[in-house]
Amino acid sequence: MDCDDCLEKLYAFLDQELGSNERKQVASHLEGCTDCGDNLAFEERFLKVIRDCGTSDVAPAELRRRVAERLRSDVPPTTA
Amino acid sequence: MAEDAFETEALSYIDALYRTALRMTRSEADAEDLVQETYIRALRFREQFTPGTNLKAWLFRILTNTFINAYRKRSRQPQTAELDDVDEFSLYRRMSQETPGSNSSDPEKEFLDGIVSSEVKEALAALPEKFRTTVLLDVEGFSYKEIAEMVGVPIGTVMSRLHRGRKFLQQRLFDLARERGIAALRTSGPRPD
Repeated sequence: MDCDDCLEKLYAFLDQELGSNERKQVASHLEGCTDCGDNLAFEERFLKVIRDCGTSDVAPAELRRRVAERLRSDVPPTTA
Repeated sequence: MAEDAFETEALSYIDALYRTALRMTRSEADAEDLVQETYIRALRFREQFTPGTNLKAWLFRILTNTFINAYRKRSRQPQTAELDDVDEFSLYRRMSQETPGSNSSDPEKEFLDGIVSSEVKEALAALPEKFRTTVLLDVEGFSYKEIAEMVGVPIGTVMSRLHRGRKFLQQRLFDLARERGIAALRTSGPRPD
C-alpha cells in the first residue's frame, strides 16, 4: 500500500469502517511511514474538534418541557 | 417495553436531536418545530419501534426524513453543489507548506487549539445541505450504514459526502483562522510594523 492509497482510506480507518484486511494494510503502512502517521494524528484531532464543537448545544428548557409533557400524556394502544 | 422506559429514553435524546436540527435548519425556530414534529411522529409510529433496538437511530431517522422532505418541498431547484474542488485539499499538507517564517513551532496544533465552536458552526452552516446532513449524523456517532439508511443513499455515497464535507470544513476553518490572524498561518514575507 502506498501513501496515496493510505490517505484515501484514512477517514474510513479513523471511522473504524474498514474491513479487517484493509485495516491491517493501513495500520501496517502507518507503522512504517511517519508522514502518513503525522497526517493521521492531525486528522484524528481535527475530527475530535468537530465532534466536540458539534455536540455542545442543548435543547431550550421550554422545548424540553413541552416535549416531556407530550410524551407523558401519550397513551399507547393496549395490545389485545 | 414499559411506557415510561420508552418515554424516558426518547426524551434523553432531545439535546442531540435539537443540536442536529439546529445545524440542519440553521434556525432556532425551525429547529424547535423539527424536534417537535419528530417526537409527534415518534409517538404516532411507536408501535413500529422494536423494543431493545436502537431508539436513538430510530428517532434520528425520523428527524432526518422529516427534515429532508420539508427541505425538498421548500427548495425549488435541485441541489447541484457537489464540492468537486475540495477533494484534493489537504489541510495538513497546506499547513506544512505555510510554516516557513511562522512563529509557531507547531502550527497544526496552534490551528486546532485555536478553532472555536462558533467557527465550526459557521463552517457547518456554509456546507451544502446533503454534505451537512451527513457530517452532522456522523458527529452524533452513527455508522456509515446507519447514515445510509437514514438518508436513503448507498454507503459509498455516505463515504464520499463525509470525505468532501470534512475537507470543505477544513478549508473553511483554515480561511477563518487566517482571517483571525493566527501567527502560524501568516504567509512568509516582511511583517508589517
